[in-house]
Formats: sequence, C-alpha cells, structure tokens
Amino acid sequence: MSSDVTLGIVVATALAFDFTNGFHDTANSVAATISTRALPPRVAVGMAALLNFAGAFISLKVAATVGQGIVATSHVTSTVVFAGLVGAIAWNLATWYFGLPSSSSHALIGGVVGSGVAAAGTGAVQWDGLTEKVLVPAVVAPVLALVVGAIAIVVAYRIVGNRRPGPVGRSYRLGQIVSGGMLSLSHGTNDAQKTMGIITLALIAHGDISADKFHVPTWVVVSAATAIALGTYVGGWRIIRTMGTRIIKMDPAQGFVSQGAGAATILAASHYGYPLSTTHVISGAVMGAGAGKRLSAVRWGVAGNIAGAWVLTIPAAAAVGAATYGVTRIFGTGAVGPLVVSIVLLAVLLTGFARRLAAGRTLTAEG
Amino acid sequence: MATIVQTDVLWKLIVSAFVAGVGITAVFALAIYGGTRFIDLRRADREAAAWAFGTLAVLAVAAFAAATAYGIVVMANKS
Repeated sequence: MSSDVTLGIVVATALAFDFTNGFHDTANSVAATISTRALPPRVAVGMAALLNFAGAFISLKVAATVGQGIVATSHVTSTVVFAGLVGAIAWNLATWYFGLPSSSSHALIGGVVGSGVAAAGTGAVQWDGLTEKVLVPAVVAPVLALVVGAIAIVVAYRIVGNRRPGPVGRSYRLGQIVSGGMLSLSHGTNDAQKTMGIITLALIAHGDISADKFHVPTWVVVSAATAIALGTYVGGWRIIRTMGTRIIKMDPAQGFVSQGAGAATILAASHYGYPLSTTHVISGAVMGAGAGKRLSAVRWGVAGNIAGAWVLTIPAAAAVGAATYGVTRIFGTGAVGPLVVSIVLLAVLLTGFARRLAAGRTLTAEG
Repeated sequence: MATIVQTDVLWKLIVSAFVAGVGITAVFALAIYGGTRFIDLRRADREAAAWAFGTLAVLAVAAFAAATAYGIVVMANKS
C-alpha cells in the first residue's frame, strides 16, 4: 500500500516536472517567432504545444537512457527520484520568476544528484559521467551556437543585405514558422521522453514492468506528451520576453538564424548522440545572431545573468533535492514523507497563484 | 581527459554544426535572394535572367525542405 502511494506521488511529480519543463522551455521555440511577429503569440504557443505533443510520439529511445551514467542506479529509489524532481521543479519555477532561460534537463540531473548524495553520499554520483554528459556540453553548447549563429547571420546579410527589406522580412518570418516548428518537435521528442523514462523506472522499481524488457507503456507516453504540451501552451512568458526582446532586439533575419542555426546544432548533436541543452543552444544562437551584426547589439548584462543561472542550475537544484530528501526521511522510509512534502509544496504553489490572481495577474499573462 | 571529453565526437559535432547551421541559413537566404531577384527581373522584362534566379530559388527551397525532412529523420533515430 505504502509503495503504491509513493509510486502515485512520483508519477504525479514527474508529470508536474514535465509541465514546468514545457512551460519553462516554450521560449526556446517561440520567443523569436513572437518577437519578430512571424506569428501572433497565442498561435505560436498553440503550434509549439501541438508539435511538442506530436514530438513525444516520434521516438522512445531516449526514455531508456534517462539518468544513466550520472547517479549509480543501485541508489536510485522512488524517494530519491521524488526529491530530485522537487529540486528540478523548484529551480524551473525560480528561474521562470526571474525570467531566466535555463536547462530543465540540468535542473533534473542536479536535483537527482543532490538527493542521491543525501541518500548515499558522494559515492552515489558518477562524477566522470556528470562531467562528460552535463558539464562539458554545458560549456560547448552556448559557445558553439554563438559562433555558428554569428557566422550564419553574416552570411545571411551578405546574401540578402541589398534586397528590399519588405519581401525579405516576410520570407524570413515564413521560414521562422518552419524553424520554430522544428525546435518544438525536437523538444517534444527529447524532453517528454525524460519524464517517460522516470515514470517507467518508477514502474520497474515497483514491479509493474520487468527490468529485462524495458518498454514505455502507452498511458505513460500519452500523459507525458499531454503534460509537456499543456505546459508549453501555458507559456513561460517572462522567459519568452527575455529570449525574444531582452538579449537582442531581433529583426526577422536574426530570428530565423537563431532558430535555424540553433535547430541545426541541436540536430547535429542528436545525430552524434551528444547531449546538448536546447536552452543553452538557442540562447547562444540568439546572442550570436546579435553579435554577428555588431557586438554592442547584445545586452551582455542580460547574457551574464543567464550564464550565472546556468552555473547555479546544478548546485541549486541539488541543494533543494538534498533538502527535500532530508525532510522526507524525517517521516521514515515510507510514503508519509513524500506525501507531506507534496501537500506542503502544493499549498505553497496554490497560495502563490491565489495571491497573483488577487493582485490581478495570472501565470499566463502575456503582457 | 580525452575519454571524458570525447574529442573525436566533439570535433565531428563542431564541424557538422557549422556546416548544418551556416548551410541552412545560406540556403534559405539564397531562396529569398533568388525569389526577390526573379520578381524584380520579371518586372523589368528580363525573362531569361528572371527564370535563372527563379530556378535558384526553387532549388534552394527544395534543399531547405530536404534538410528539414532529414532533421525529422535524425529526431526519429535519436538514441
């Protein structure tokens, strides 16, 4: 009975994380589209939500690899996963509040690393795996995307720079619908699978699925796809504003280049199985598209704040994950700890939401 | 260090990202260039030159569509 309750809580928390993942990462695919008026905001997030939903069904290969090589699987219990998810959700909400794009995947890894350390000590973490799969790509992704974006915008301006701005702008806006769509589809394929993987691992630990025959049940695929699509549709407007207007003031060519070069970089990384964060790539490509025009076009102060958030992502999510694990253990090893933490967090979130509503604002406010 | 950083994969990624990222934006820019030149030259009654740029635009759009389709294939085969 206790393990059933814990499984239910882990599944619900994983879907809540998936929702914040979609909500937080909407900006990656729609910020440029909205900023250059390629699509109206609601149409852009609606399209992104649909493509995230569709993307979740394209491939299930990543789901089987979630968390491999970072935390020793023998230490990954349901409570460790729950506490890690809480750390990731907390970081996603904190960075959304400050309008800072950051990697949801890194937040999840940080949360699980923190709760894993709290549960079994630093020996639970495979530091080489963490360095290889998270820390090195975190440096490579934005730098590579920035340079590719900068060169791409120079090439684009060289080719169409002397053409009439009207038709050129309209064409780039049309291209942005395709490049933004590719980003949304790629995001659904990649990020929804993390939640599917977590839920499937919880089902294996609970004995509902055989560990020898890893497969993702259909209800898990549908619920993860739905959660990420709903999160995307709600839209993290603060982050959309930062990505779309605060890093650089985008023209349609820069919007297309940041999305097109970003999507190409992400897909090149996928081709080689190299784990780059979509958020890091797109943020880097936006900066590159600005810097390629002129260095002063980029608001480097905003870029610095974003980089600061990236540096803090893993330690901060890890700290919350570890603290959450510590609190759950006060109530023993059963379901009571996760249940109490879930109820308290839900109450805090609902209170915050009610206060925003009372102040006349909503989470989905576009303005 | 080399095993942690996977330098061979990293180099392949860097080269591929440059080729794909700069390539896709160049191809789309060529499509716009060809399309806008086609319209301007047709207005100026320079049919032969117009169709040459029109062909460039069509080829570039076809290349962009092919690259997009290939991107979806990469997504589907992601591991």
